Amino acid sequence: MAKASPKKKAEESKPEYIHVKFEMPRRYNWSTGKYLGHFYAEAKENKKIVGNRCPQCKEIWVPPSGVCPKCKVEMGWDWVELPQTGEVYQYTYLVMPLWDPHYGEKWANPYPSAIILLDNGVFYRHRLEETDKDKLKVGTRVQAVWKEDYEERGEGPADILYFKEIGK
Amino acid sequence: MAERVGVVAVGQTQYHPDRSDVSEEELAYEAVVQVLEATGLTLSDIDSAVTCSQDFWDGRTISNMNIQRVVGAHLGHEDKVAEDGINAVYVGMSQILSGHQDIVLVLAHTKESQADKSVVENAAFDPALMRQLGLDFVSAAAMQAKRYMYKYGITAQQCAKVAVKNRGNAKNNPLAQEPMDITVEDVLGSKVLSSPIRLLDTKPTSDGACALILAREEKAKKLTNKPVWILGASNCYEVHYLGDRDLADCEAVVKAAKKAYSMAGINNPLKQIDVAEVSEEYSYQELLWMEGLGFCGRGEGGKLLDSGLTKMGGKLPVNPSGGVLSGNPVGVAGMARVAETVLQLRGEAGDRQVKGAQVALAHGVTGICGQHQCVMILGNR
Amino acid sequence: MPNRVAIVGIGQTYHTSRRPDVNQPEMVAEAVRAALADAQLSIKDIEGVFFSNMETFEGIFLPDHGMAAEVGAFGKPGLKVCTGGTSGGSVVCEGFFFVSSGLYDLVLVIGFEKQDCGDTTAAISAAATPMWGKGAATGAIGEFAKQALSYMETSGAKEEHAAMVRLKADRNACRNPYAHLKLGLKSVDDVLQSAYLVWPLRILDFCPQSCGACALVFASEQRAKKITKKPVWIADVETVHQEPFRAGVFGDPTGKETYTQHVACERLYKRNGITNPRRDIDTAEIYEPSNWEEMNLCEHFHFCEKGEGWKLIEKGITEIEGEFPVNCSGGVIATNPIGATPIIRVAEAALQIRGDAGEHQATRDIKTALASALGGPNWTILTLLKRSL
Repeated sequence: MAKASPKKKAEESKPEYIHVKFEMPRRYNWSTGKYLGHFYAEAKENKKIVGNRCPQCKEIWVPPSGVCPKCKVEMGWDWVELPQTGEVYQYTYLVMPLWDPHYGEKWANPYPSAIILLDNGVFYRHRLEETDKDKLKVGTRVQAVWKEDYEERGEGPADILYFKEIGK
Repeated sequence: MAERVGVVAVGQTQYHPDRSDVSEEELAYEAVVQVLEATGLTLSDIDSAVTCSQDFWDGRTISNMNIQRVVGAHLGHEDKVAEDGINAVYVGMSQILSGHQDIVLVLAHTKESQADKSVVENAAFDPALMRQLGLDFVSAAAMQAKRYMYKYGITAQQCAKVAVKNRGNAKNNPLAQEPMDITVEDVLGSKVLSSPIRLLDTKPTSDGACALILAREEKAKKLTNKPVWILGASNCYEVHYLGDRDLADCEAVVKAAKKAYSMAGINNPLKQIDVAEVSEEYSYQELLWMEGLGFCGRGEGGKLLDSGLTKMGGKLPVNPSGGVLSGNPVGVAGMARVAETVLQLRGEAGDRQVKGAQVALAHGVTGICGQHQCVMILGNR
Repeated sequence: MPNRVAIVGIGQTYHTSRRPDVNQPEMVAEAVRAALADAQLSIKDIEGVFFSNMETFEGIFLPDHGMAAEVGAFGKPGLKVCTGGTSGGSVVCEGFFFVSSGLYDLVLVIGFEKQDCGDTTAAISAAATPMWGKGAATGAIGEFAKQALSYMETSGAKEEHAAMVRLKADRNACRNPYAHLKLGLKSVDDVLQSAYLVWPLRILDFCPQSCGACALVFASEQRAKKITKKPVWIADVETVHQEPFRAGVFGDPTGKETYTQHVACERLYKRNGITNPRRDIDTAEIYEPSNWEEMNLCEHFHFCEKGEGWKLIEKGITEIEGEFPVNCSGGVIATNPIGATPIIRVAEAALQIRGDAGEHQATRDIKTALASALGGPNWTILTLLKRSL
């Protein structure tokens, strides 16, 4: 004969935790300064990508720097215009969307970012236009595509929308 | 502890309300370049850097990344302290005393003009209890000022006299942001920010940087013929929740000072200290901190000020540089106090020189109503 | 002569993804009480309290001030350091320097992160300079994705090797009561089937965001010998920071950049007479945010030849029972409360030396251990621990 089924234990009540929800928009007004400011100006006015060159080791730094990170000497004002074409050296793409905390935007899926070897041997990092991940390839020749509207520029590296495959 | 730690060079930028012309890195470099030129060192000669900046003020996570290039952190040792800059000097000191580093660059920078002061400060209040009250440092300090004045009968005039003294002293400091010729009436007539604190009782928004080079005794003597020795230092935390302490007390100052004094062999501060640079973000604080430092008894800060002992020419001049009130950014303020005492002890303080200064006190605060205090004693013998 | 410094107390919280039952100060207090209990000391004995935490992840400015009462810092000296992922390593260095200098005899070193309070990846993306990073920053994950690619290209490692590293981490974490992720993974396929986060990194390839705290008690030699029969000596520390690489932060595909890991371990090894790391060191607790990076770091730290990091896992060398156990605790890929993570590496290495790691104790006798911290644009802090100096 079956035993009587055991009485179910009363479900242990889960404690209700009290949380404090807080949104904290923090406004900042960052100065670009002399060196980065020059980069921003060249991008806005002339749609040029520039880097500065160390007087001692001759290395070109982009983003520009006031002090050469390697030699630790003051950089001076030797600017080099960088080519706007190059090849994709390495890339990755976002699958799960991420928030950009500075601008409150959510970067879409997929979101390809790449290290581009510009034609003069300097590395530059930016987005790619190609969003089909199966079409992304190392070695693809790419070219910078700028925001055409002058009024929309003034965001430094973000003035370049993306690098797109040459010939597309 | 075999060798002492010496400060061999100091650099400060012109304190200014809005340095939009430079980035954090360039601003910091203006201070760094001064200490490099003074010692003939290059960034490659530095063993380690201790920087001081706050992620919340800079708006950048890992804010030391902003200034790494200008402290020679490439393949080098670098730490970031998240309290007032005087604590970075303390950390640099410990690195040298431990025998692990010989030459340390210490740097503090803040660009208050870039950030939303009240929002940043509000984030320091605990999220569950105090943040919703919308407090920032001024409103919290106002509570402390009121309590202090109520408990001991400190008057608004006495607080105002601090502003008059310090702003007046600042006229002799070419780097000061807001030297002023003002009277007590001017202070008491200025706009109320948060009663009883008025505009002229408060430090202005400021951008600036300060850098020092510390070195082990033997090296310090080679780098400069006027090294200034750190004779003692300590810091101390208070409790956080404003209701948990009597805001008219300054126990953290007392404790920090006690340990610093004992290291430096000071048992009678008024007699043994020749000049003091105290971090007074609001005028009443100079009176309160002086009590904690033992310059007078509890509740006697106002009386001490009235006596004239702390004026230029008095027995123990306090803030000949003009202090924080005349314009120092948060985080840099305490390190600037150290820099000023070093200049005093080297006899390089120009028109604000306290004659014959041999032992000096530098003091820094961090946080709400001076929750974190640091005291440092320096000497030139 | 500088003082010798030993770890005499170790405490951790049970790391997990959410701790709705405690606020930040209460969580840290758990670790502090555990460390004091381990050392059989009271908070009254502690002379200074040093903190590490990344404030922007929780949105709490000056968190050390906020918890001064709960963790016993009230009325005591102390301060907070904040250097990104290496924060915990920096605070270990500060604690070490303060005791070694003779300024203090007994201090608490605390690291914590309560990541359920904020959005960590967003905050990490905020480490990219805001004036350069818009659109290009993909947090730490994007950088480790590129590192994984570089590593595959240059070393010949396969996804299966990365999956094997992940399995080892999980097996070890399941034996560690404090670890966060205890998934019970059974096979390489379990790993290879998880979804991509940032190609080619899968969810299981990357560390979690954990809530947790870790506290250590450091003592000068004189005090240490009175407090415990098993002090763990901090033989040496080394911090190396740097600028970000232009070509790749964690894995430079050009092969031209210098890694902080190389500079740090070469300096540390030279100062401590370590000529054959696999022989002179018995175990390592390294800060590996991804399984690919663990293989890479083993090469950087000279635990194997360049390009052969994947052979270590293939041959079982880095298992708990292996010849050179790495991350017996489960590592960062199982547990990652960022401000505490480097301190947990030191804590776990110290437990191994004391023989107190319970089920995740290495099979071989551990006399010397290396703990590493990683942060920012590939910074390194190393701590060398020994049973006797």
